[in-house]
Amino acid sequence: MDADSDVALDILITNVVCVFRTRCHLNLRKIALEGANVIYKRDVGKVLMKLRKPRITATIWSSGKIICTGATSEEEAKFGARRLARSLQKLGFQVIFTDFKVVNVLAVCNMPFEIRLPEFTKNNRPHASYEPELHPAVCYRIKSLRATLQIFSTGSITVTELWK
Amino acid sequence: MTGRVCRGCGGTDIELDAARGDAVCTGCGSVLEDNIIVSEVQFVENSGGGSSAVGQFVSLDGAGKTPTLGGGFHVNLGKESRAQTLQNGRRQIHHLGNQLQLNQHCLDTAFNFFKMAVSKHLTRGRKMAHVIAACLYLVCRTEGTPHMLLDLSDLLQVNVYVLGKTFLLLARELCINAPAIDPCLYIPRFAHLLEFGEKNHEVSMTALRLLQRMKRDWMHTGRRPSGLCGAGHRPRALGCCAPVPMPDSRRAPPPPPALLVAARMHDFRRTVKEVISVVKVCESTLRKRLTEFEDTPTSQLTVDEFMKIDLEEECDPPSYTAGQRKLRLKQLEQVLSKKLEEVEGEISTYQDAIENELESSRPKAKGALANLTRDGSVEDTTSSVFGEDDAEDEELEAAASHLNKDFYQEILGSGLSSSSEGAGDPDGDTRPPALESLLGPLPTAASLGISDSIRECISSQSQDPTDACGDGELDLSGIDDLEIDRYILNEAEARVKAELWMRENAEYLREQREKEARIAKEKELGIYKEHKPKKSCKRREPIQASTAGEAIEKMLEQKKISSKINYSVLRDLNSKGGGGLQEEDAQPEGRTATRKLSRRKTPARRHRADPVTGVGKRLRPMVSAQPAKKAAAGEPLPLSPSTLGAEPARPTAVLVESGPVSYHPEDDPDEDDPDEDDGEPCVSALQMMGSGDYGCDGEEDDGY
Repeated sequence: MDADSDVALDILITNVVCVFRTRCHLNLRKIALEGANVIYKRDVGKVLMKLRKPRITATIWSSGKIICTGATSEEEAKFGARRLARSLQKLGFQVIFTDFKVVNVLAVCNMPFEIRLPEFTKNNRPHASYEPELHPAVCYRIKSLRATLQIFSTGSITVTELWK
Repeated sequence: MTGRVCRGCGGTDIELDAARGDAVCTGCGSVLEDNIIVSEVQFVENSGGGSSAVGQFVSLDGAGKTPTLGGGFHVNLGKESRAQTLQNGRRQIHHLGNQLQLNQHCLDTAFNFFKMAVSKHLTRGRKMAHVIAACLYLVCRTEGTPHMLLDLSDLLQVNVYVLGKTFLLLARELCINAPAIDPCLYIPRFAHLLEFGEKNHEVSMTALRLLQRMKRDWMHTGRRPSGLCGAGHRPRALGCCAPVPMPDSRRAPPPPPALLVAARMHDFRRTVKEVISVVKVCESTLRKRLTEFEDTPTSQLTVDEFMKIDLEEECDPPSYTAGQRKLRLKQLEQVLSKKLEEVEGEISTYQDAIENELESSRPKAKGALANLTRDGSVEDTTSSVFGEDDAEDEELEAAASHLNKDFYQEILGSGLSSSSEGAGDPDGDTRPPALESLLGPLPTAASLGISDSIRECISSQSQDPTDACGDGELDLSGIDDLEIDRYILNEAEARVKAELWMRENAEYLREQREKEARIAKEKELGIYKEHKPKKSCKRREPIQASTAGEAIEKMLEQKKISSKINYSVLRDLNSKGGGGLQEEDAQPEGRTATRKLSRRKTPARRHRADPVTGVGKRLRPMVSAQPAKKAAAGEPLPLSPSTLGAEPARPTAVLVESGPVSYHPEDDPDEDDPDEDDGEPCVSALQMMGSGDYGCDGEEDDGY
């Protein structure tokens, strides 16, 4: 039942979320009018801007805070964020690229064997929590790495950021 | 007993009579004390002839029932907040618990959980109903009663996931391990609801066997227990010889399918709808479980065989078999794609040859297009179109071809990486970064090397922060300005887009305009009330101060009380009456805990100037200004003279703390304006001391 040493366990990063600040106030209306790939949500007060090259979606607030999602690696996320800042610069804002921080990384992994969830929960009591009525996966939290793993009975595992 | 001196004769020989509760001087006979409080047990004779002790039980936590002074106050007025919360919670627990038919022991346990939750402040910010439901469900889990979270959410009309979240949090915070629910627990309950009559027990036993079979066949992990139960009960069309299809609900507890089949096995007709209404799973779930079970070898057995034989082999979980099928499909796809590649390679060589011929005969194409046309097979179809298009669309087409390229690459899979790289190079600077990002996330063989890579990751994480900060300058390396320029629309396009957006969001804009018009109209009429967003109550930290004077100072700094206070005088007051102030703290705290709304004004300084006359003056304005508050005010008034009497030596100190406001003779005009403070007409001494637990601005307006 244990993983063979010959079988390659591949872990795929599917999403990287990062934030950064432009230390200036952004006029959302102007961005909405002149940007080619933006969605302006006026009721919430933000602009969604999508880039193609690194396929990312950025949420822009008028305070200058920007959240960037959809990248597939950390370098790509930074690259995309820089691109975004550059395009904002071109629109005429005095953008300074500061406080870049990767906030969340989502990865998916597949085990070649199935997992018995009730016994697994019993053996890993404090970390694992399993509630079959609510969600079919076991939620395993690692505090030291600040990670949450969702373990399904098929053997597929989703790794994401720890949230309380 | 103590050496007290008689007031009349000065003798020290005082006799205490415990029975009568008197203290009498044996010299002159004057009664010094009457009604002494004694700690004796008294007995009273019952009607039956036995005797019982006189007394009341007082609960350990919280204050007991306050004696009704003057009679007729509302009961809850005398309790402190914590006791009220617990009492309220107990009431709600019993109410809900009775609906679930939980016995008294369970309810008591639930109440204990609730008390723990309250002491850990878990009820803050959450609806009481949710917390109560979570406590009850926790009890159900630990006791093993057949209650589902769904039942609770039905009763409360609350989303089950919301309840689940609260429940998980509670279990974690209270460090209680709720044992996993066994679907077998639900069977008797559902069976009873499906009304099998006499054969109830038999059907249940059959369903149980089915369930156990399902467990061994790996159908129950990750599934809700109630679903499995239902399938078990519902029998599908089958004769004695036909295989018994056992539905397996993974997600829902296995009961329903088990019940379905069991019922059918015993010749009971139960439709899907009936079972669903009892078990609360969706019809499609039920059917799924049934089909899943059909796949297991157990389904091939007849009824009699099933009752006797238990197949040895175990099945794989259905999801696992589904996964295997997907894997096989993928492998097939890969083989196919490889074959495609080979064919593609041949075609591309032919196409290149043709292209070269054409180019030599065709006039020179424009710059950007040339790059593109030099690419691999994919571009050829589009490049022929390029030559005919206008210059304006050139960029758009180029972008489209870029996209197409990515798309094709994804279709043909990662195996094409080598060929795409070769094609990508002539493209120029724009391609390499994108390719790297494309190739980056490809899975690396990491079976044994996982530990190493993890170590790397952790170590690299620590290095990252250092080079991430920088000085805020934008690093332009690798950013293509040209492409970014494409993101910016020109004027005509901007206008079109604005038009489109306006049309999309017309409703929202209209609402905004109406709102503004309404506000303008109200302003004209003067009715306009500005609805400020409700400021959340800030939890103020309790002030740490060694003396009362310090506490007052700190409190005054925190709270912005009226400008009409002469703070310097207040500070002087502290220095003089520092000792006396401390004593009086205990008294007002005890009384103001009940939140009596006697008006205690902050101008405590006024007390100093003319205490005695102030008292007399104070009574008048109190009575005239607020006749309604007489009842409330009446209470503190008799108390304060008593405190005056108790401490004749320090009248100033007494009045500062406990008495209501005494108006200074010079400040008569202020009497007419009770609400001089901005929104803070009533500030009790307790609040002045800054006990943060009660410190919410909104609460001060309670009585008004």
